Amino acid sequence: MSLLIATTVDDALAAMAAGARPIAGGSDLVVGARHGKAPLPDSLVAIDRIAELRALDVDTSGAVRIGAGVSHHLIESHPVLVERFSALADAAALVGSPSTRHVGTIGGNVMNASPAMDTGAPLVVLGASVELRAVTGSRTMPIGELWIGPGRTAASPDELCVAVHLPAPASRCGSAYVRLEYRRAMEIAVVGAAASVTLAADGTVTSVHAALTAVAPTIIAVAGLEHLAGATVAEAAVAVGDAARQQATPISDVRASDRYRRHTIAVMAQRAVDAAARRAAGERVPVPVNRALGIGAATGGPS
Amino acid sequence: MTVTEPAPTSRFVRADGPDKVTGSGRYAADLTLTGVLQAAFRYADVTHGRITRLDVEPARSMPGVLAVLTAADVPDVRYGPFVADRTLFARDVVRFEGEIVAAVAATSAEIARRAAAAIVVEYEPLPIVNDVEAALAPDAPLVHADWASYGAADPIVRDRNDASYASITKGDADAAMADADIVLSSRYVADASHAAPIEPRAVLAQWEGDKVTIWSSTQVPFDARAGVCETLGLPANRVRIIVPHLGGGFGGKCGFHVEAHVAALARAARRPVRLVFTRREEFVVPDRRREGMVVELTTGLRGDGTIVARTGRVIIDNGAYTADSGFFSQLAAMHVAGPYRIPHLHVEAHLVYTNHQPSGSVRAPTAPQACWALESHTDELAAAAGLDPVEFRRRNVVDTGSEGPSGQTYDEIGLRRCVDAATAAAGYGRDLPDDEAIGVAVGWWPSFTAASGAFVKIDGDGSAQIVTGAQECGTGAVMTLRQLAADELGMSPDDFQLVYQDTSVAPYDMGATGSQTLFNNGRAVVHAAGQVAEQLKRLAADHLEAAPDDIVLADGQASVAGTPSRTVSIAELAGIAAGGELLIGHGSGAPPSAPALVGSSCVGDVGMAAFVAPQFSCHAVHVKVDRDTGVVRVLGVSAAHDSGTIINQIGARGQVEGGVMMGIGQALTEGTRYDDAGRQRNPAMLEYKLQTCADAPPIHIDFVEIPTPDAGPRGAKGLAEAPNVPTAAAIANAVAQVVGRPVRQLPMTAERVWNTLTGEDGVS
Ligand SMILES: Cc1cc2nc3c(=O)[nH]c(=O)nc-3n(C[C@H](O)[C@H](O)[C@H](O)COP(=O)(O)OP(=O)(O)OC[C@H]3O[C@@H](n4cnc5c(N)ncnc54)[C@H](O)[C@@H]3O)c2cc1C
Repeated sequence: MSLLIATTVDDALAAMAAGARPIAGGSDLVVGARHGKAPLPDSLVAIDRIAELRALDVDTSGAVRIGAGVSHHLIESHPVLVERFSALADAAALVGSPSTRHVGTIGGNVMNASPAMDTGAPLVVLGASVELRAVTGSRTMPIGELWIGPGRTAASPDELCVAVHLPAPASRCGSAYVRLEYRRAMEIAVVGAAASVTLAADGTVTSVHAALTAVAPTIIAVAGLEHLAGATVAEAAVAVGDAARQQATPISDVRASDRYRRHTIAVMAQRAVDAAARRAAGERVPVPVNRALGIGAATGGPS
Repeated sequence: MTVTEPAPTSRFVRADGPDKVTGSGRYAADLTLTGVLQAAFRYADVTHGRITRLDVEPARSMPGVLAVLTAADVPDVRYGPFVADRTLFARDVVRFEGEIVAAVAATSAEIARRAAAAIVVEYEPLPIVNDVEAALAPDAPLVHADWASYGAADPIVRDRNDASYASITKGDADAAMADADIVLSSRYVADASHAAPIEPRAVLAQWEGDKVTIWSSTQVPFDARAGVCETLGLPANRVRIIVPHLGGGFGGKCGFHVEAHVAALARAARRPVRLVFTRREEFVVPDRRREGMVVELTTGLRGDGTIVARTGRVIIDNGAYTADSGFFSQLAAMHVAGPYRIPHLHVEAHLVYTNHQPSGSVRAPTAPQACWALESHTDELAAAAGLDPVEFRRRNVVDTGSEGPSGQTYDEIGLRRCVDAATAAAGYGRDLPDDEAIGVAVGWWPSFTAASGAFVKIDGDGSAQIVTGAQECGTGAVMTLRQLAADELGMSPDDFQLVYQDTSVAPYDMGATGSQTLFNNGRAVVHAAGQVAEQLKRLAADHLEAAPDDIVLADGQASVAGTPSRTVSIAELAGIAAGGELLIGHGSGAPPSAPALVGSSCVGDVGMAAFVAPQFSCHAVHVKVDRDTGVVRVLGVSAAHDSGTIINQIGARGQVEGGVMMGIGQALTEGTRYDDAGRQRNPAMLEYKLQTCADAPPIHIDFVEIPTPDAGPRGAKGLAEAPNVPTAAAIANAVAQVVGRPVRQLPMTAERVWNTLTGEDGVS
């Protein structure tokens, strides 16, 4: 087995062109190998020391570029992300444990392409795109086009994910990500839902987007929500919940039955819309929503 | 035994704490030896089948492989503490997925694993016994076709798949039931669960001549030694078990497991051999899983809510072999009777073979599940009688002077005081939002008596050692021995070093099991230290020209009572002793005897119906239920315990906190699921959901301290298991209040709670 520690993107790309597989935090790759999911690749290139990948930049328009090597910890604690891209911060704050959040990266999360990944649904509702680069050139695609199946992406093996791009959100726009969890750390989404909501001055909905975690072979966007422009938040929440229930194609496994997942995805979607709308209206709903609102598991402390 | 006031403890630093916290401590998997080989096992490929072909040649011929063993290579010994139904390696038939068919030692773990996989095994499938209730049917396939020929301990009553039947009968339950004003029946089903210690086990073995030293992560080194001796045909003095720091156990590392396999490999390979389990192996292989259980109870009440009669039936999933589980049936019967005054009782329990991983003692075996069933049933009874559940308990629980369900009459005990303390601390009865409730449950647990020994010595420089057979599993019980010795000798705990966890240097102790370390080894240490104290007093009397009886040992000094100026340091006395009669004490002491039972009769009596120094508890738990998802969150726990005198407050509180957290896990998230073949579906930390620190609620603890005669040192009872008993039950009763009826399956997962909320739990 060979391991190259790259310090520039070009070094990494050259190694990948020669067949090496990138490793960032290793929290999927190494843990998966230990559990017999797939053996460690023969040739690895470590990308966690590449400065360009670890940068997070906000431009003057308010758009954000998150380097693929940015950790969940930075995302959950970055004031701009917490304030304006809250759904992503909600998701990052739920990942594993403090140590998982320090080693795990957003690039690793999206490229691992698990249907239960937490940053996926938020990235979809925030309109993110993903920048892939190979020695032969780079391309950018909407994040939703990246995932083509469980653990499978549209990237070719020599393409490095260098960054995720988030457009500046509209004013009076808020977002949230909630997930159903059975415990409050070291959890994986049983189901999860992200929503972004833009409100008109009168408090009705201008637009709403939603995406779902762990109810299909990939993260899926909820389709057909355009007609909700003009609806009240309460109406929109119910409608998004119904749509989520209908569009979900969950499986039964040891975590939950398909029936329970189909029910709870509607609950999560509804709660995500509700929390996103409150943020859009200017209410401070702390990150992560799961803890702030007691979603799934209620907040601590005797009442 | 005289009861004295406990010495106040202002500070308590665990001797093993700094090692563990800084990472400098060494665990079994950290050890290595020159030339060490790595071991791997080949496990059964089917959960029930007859081996028709076993070819180890492909493994033996692999480069780097130095030993391959099967049943043919070790003595033909069937072993088991209650029923001799187990062999080191599968002989002819495999009966569960973790059964060891062959073992390999090779120059690397990878080679060992590859070689184990290369062994060819073919099977004739046998019918899989996957359902514990169906297994009792007269025509059910047998897990052990030859069960009748197995040796078994005398009191064990067996029949086909029933490996241990027990009943407790008092009065005439059927007649009393017929006369009762209210009769209510309930049924509950608990899934199996796991001890899940943080450290997967590791074993390292090395032979020198005809003696073997085995480093093992066991909770019970002497038991492990006995297993090696029995299965490999060795006398006790040629087997030495040493336990480095132990990374938790919770019962999962009790019993004898794989020490003999590794020792046999090392002998065959003529090299030291090391085995380190993966997390999956830790889940699947040991004969230590908390048993699944089906409980059916019927109770008759008078109109005023007084219990007049109870009948009950418990079916316990034994798994494929009877590890230490032989006593589970009688203990489970006690736990479904519970700490109540019940004049007419008939409860029976069956320990039933299946093709699952064997069950074995995990922290308070049988109790959390049985208590969960009983206490859920008790809340149903209270409702039927129109009584508040706490009031119902106050009327019916045992207390000082009353007679328990098996005919034992109690000396001073504090169960009612526990109920008062826990409910007061929880604010029971206050108004709560309609998705919150406080549930209450009571529990009990015996203290276990056993022989136990220790040496105490003070060397010439005045520094002291406790050499004990006791095993530290993380509870701090062994650490607390320093305090007992120090108090006895008028020294400081810091003056003592512990030498422990080595079967060849210390006298016998049963190990970190049955909450017995402080209870029994504490007695031994007090005795041993007492002998040294006598020696010191004689020396000081000579030195100070006083009578030995007038000498007081305190603050590292020996002084003449009433004349503090006439004093000599213990260190100086130790220096004097070093040139003459050495300061060495040895202790064991007579264990307290079992209390009498009057008016009851027990079938399959293994001594579990008479509780020595019984411990009592009440937990009141405040929960919130997310009605839309069924997710339950525990907001606060109030735990009150009568465990007699508390010797080490910090350690005792740690036990209650840990027991409560384990109880929350068992209540809500921890459960083993099986597939159609009886294989575990979730043998991994992601899918077997332990509670985390982030889930921990505030835990309020009250100790109802009654210095108890016929108990442990200073009137202490056990404590490590009791806190794990009533938590799940109290949570269940809180959830049932919010949901409107009980969730009849444990763990009460979010989905099961939701199914109950929506009336889709299949129970009307
Ligand atoms: C204890 C624990 C808890 C966890 N909890 C969660 C959770 O709650 N939610 C969640 O979503 N995930 C969770 N995970 C999974 C994991 O931590 C995350 O998916 C994390 O973001 C992965 O990032 P990484 O840098 O460690 O990826 P790595 O393991 O380094 O890589 C993952 C995959 O992506 C590829 N890859 C990595 N970076 C790039 C890149 N820049 N370009 C191309 N390919 C790349 C690798 O080749 C590999 O195939 C958990 C993992 C653990 C061990």
